[in-house]
Amino acid sequence: MKMDFVNNKNIVFAAIPILIILVLILYGVLSNVVAIGSEPPQVVLERPDAKYDKCVRDTEYMRFHHWELLREIRENVVRFGKRGEVGLNKCKECHTSRVNFCDQCHHAVSMSPDCFGCHNYP
Amino acid sequence: MDRRDFIKTAGGLILTVGSGTYAFRILSATGVSASDPSNPLIGKKWGMVIDLNKCRSDCTDCLTACRTENNVSYHGDSRWDNHWIRKVKIEGEVGHTKIEKTVPLLCNHCDNPPCAQVCPVKATYKRDDGIVIVDHHRCIGCRYCMIACPYNARQFNFKNDDDWPNADHPKRSHGVAEACNLCAHRLDVGQMPACVEACQKCGANAILVGDLNDRKSEINRITSTLPVKRIREDLGTEPKVYYLGL
Amino acid sequence: MDIKFDSIEGDSTQYRLMMLTFASFAVAGFIATWYVIEHGLWVTGMNNRVPWGLQIVMAVYYIGLSAGSLVISGLYGVFGKLEYKPFARIAVYLAMLFLIAGLLSILTDQGRIDRVFVEPFVYFNLQSMFSINPILYIGHILICLLYLWALFYERKKLTSVVATLAFGWAFCVHTGTGAIFGFGARVLYESPLLPASFVAAAMASGTALMILMIVGLFRITKRRLDDELIIWLGRFLAICLLVVVYFMFVENAYRAYVVELRDAAMYYLFGGLHSLFFWVGLIVIGCFIPIFLLFYRKTGKTVRGIVIASALVVFGVLCERYVIVLPGLTHPPELFPGMEITESLLQEGIASYSLSILEILQALGVFGVIGFLFGWGLKYLKLLPTEARILKHYETTEIISREK
Repeated sequence: MKMDFVNNKNIVFAAIPILIILVLILYGVLSNVVAIGSEPPQVVLERPDAKYDKCVRDTEYMRFHHWELLREIRENVVRFGKRGEVGLNKCKECHTSRVNFCDQCHHAVSMSPDCFGCHNYP
Repeated sequence: MDRRDFIKTAGGLILTVGSGTYAFRILSATGVSASDPSNPLIGKKWGMVIDLNKCRSDCTDCLTACRTENNVSYHGDSRWDNHWIRKVKIEGEVGHTKIEKTVPLLCNHCDNPPCAQVCPVKATYKRDDGIVIVDHHRCIGCRYCMIACPYNARQFNFKNDDDWPNADHPKRSHGVAEACNLCAHRLDVGQMPACVEACQKCGANAILVGDLNDRKSEINRITSTLPVKRIREDLGTEPKVYYLGL
Repeated sequence: MDIKFDSIEGDSTQYRLMMLTFASFAVAGFIATWYVIEHGLWVTGMNNRVPWGLQIVMAVYYIGLSAGSLVISGLYGVFGKLEYKPFARIAVYLAMLFLIAGLLSILTDQGRIDRVFVEPFVYFNLQSMFSINPILYIGHILICLLYLWALFYERKKLTSVVATLAFGWAFCVHTGTGAIFGFGARVLYESPLLPASFVAAAMASGTALMILMIVGLFRITKRRLDDELIIWLGRFLAICLLVVVYFMFVENAYRAYVVELRDAAMYYLFGGLHSLFFWVGLIVIGCFIPIFLLFYRKTGKTVRGIVIASALVVFGVLCERYVIVLPGLTHPPELFPGMEITESLLQEGIASYSLSILEILQALGVFGVIGFLFGWGLKYLKLLPTEARILKHYETTEIISREK
């Protein structure tokens, strides 16, 4: 394709803004890929009282899909008023500490979900 | 088929399928699935009656109860304070007599809510039981709903409030709009809203919340037999907050 | 004879200084926006009674400006006026930039910028003007890109098709933008005339800005520009201005005439600082003086007179955008007709609004971004013609026969 509307002398400089954007996107993608490849962090599970003997889903599901479950619950509660048993307030009963539990993985994969700005989770 | 043709065909295919899916999403997103049989909200229509003859002009218990129940942000500056329920003093003349009243104002939970109509992401919407509610997870903070509301009942979280009086209940981050949600989280589990309870506790018993669709309910009796008024009925928004003695 | 396009050299000190200024504006705006996101929107001085401020004013202003640019490119693309072909590329490029600026202004004004890129496109509300308009804006930007492509590759047929499409689309864009306010529930917003008057004001401001741009660029880069081209645009601007004045008159006369709107009209026309913007900024500086300059024989036929008139119009329409957005917000909605609210926890009566430095920085930042992109385009894309002149009759026929 002939690009005779572009000033040929400085074609390299012309591409600089596009390059910067590309690099930024690439950085975003790569930084996540790197995080996925690394070892999962050891999370501390606290169960102050033995009220429940297991979580609502198995560990494998919770590790990778807990946010999908939370989203589903959220949709049900906010849109349809189905206030079931499971929810962030319920999670708190076993996993009492956000720093020892939630933040461990979130930091490792450089995620910063904004749940805790509005939902109390000590 | 040479390479150029292939690219053309593939591109066309991707475009068609992509835009088709997107169009389907847009069209299907226009209505929340109201026909869902497991939806517990269908059939109800929550409404409120405020009896101004019983309401005490110097009492602010409902305001405080609302603020502590819902963690409404409060800074002591009228520009950025949020009040899901607020009391105003109004003055006017009927004939030659001067009248003065104190009116609690809150979201009217309109049947035709202008705020829900203008919300670009359907964060504000009317629940199937008639409560107009904000999905704070989705609100982008465009503040168009505040412009559209003719009652000045919607507020915006301009500023974070560090207080967290009701730790079990979420508060809102700065950057989302909010309004009274008739304590939907309490109504869903069979409790009355915080303002109603506070009003009962202080003895005035001026606020009543009930199901307008239920023929035997107290609220239905009041709205059908007593001279109730709504604010700016002429606008056609069909508010569900009724006032006695306005 | 053929119309040649070339980029500017772009190695003079002035050019570098200009780009540096734009870049620093953009950086300042970026920092201001970041600060606002961190601390919440209260730092901009907006509050529960006046939830929209300068950024929305600037957004509708920029979107309006893009119209006029498109009109000028349409003179060639739609109406086939060959004399205006030299301006077509720069006009489309500017139209695109102004829409980007409008979108940026709206974007930086949102409470939750992190959600703006996802939610509006996933959850779509066909009833909301705020949901329809972004689609119109993005479509407009894409059409402008296609239009530019057609112009760069000299595709005659595609140009006329896309130009016509862009023309119609631009009308939708400006009607939609006007409808954000015109279909609103506020007393001073609600007006079916607003979308139409928005289109008229958009045409006026855009044409005025293009006149300034064309004359400025051609003079600075020492290219030939025939006065007749600008004088014709001046006449077009004058007609646009007359339409703006007409709409303003009808709208305000209606409000002042109807009993229930009279209080609001009095507030709008004589109620505070915005009335000063209305009367002095819009009516006198923005409309009457330019109309006089454009119709008066001694100034209306000179480039200098037209340029002064254009500069006044560009300022006047900014005032117009201000008086569209803000009085409607500061004027209180009437909750109890016939009664007066004497005590409340919120501000119930007429609210006040003042510009804050952060809003100004944000607005400057958006200006810096598009200014930078504009300078960049001038240097690296062949946007400007080598000359723009009145064509002789035989030249026109020659070009037309060659293009066939």
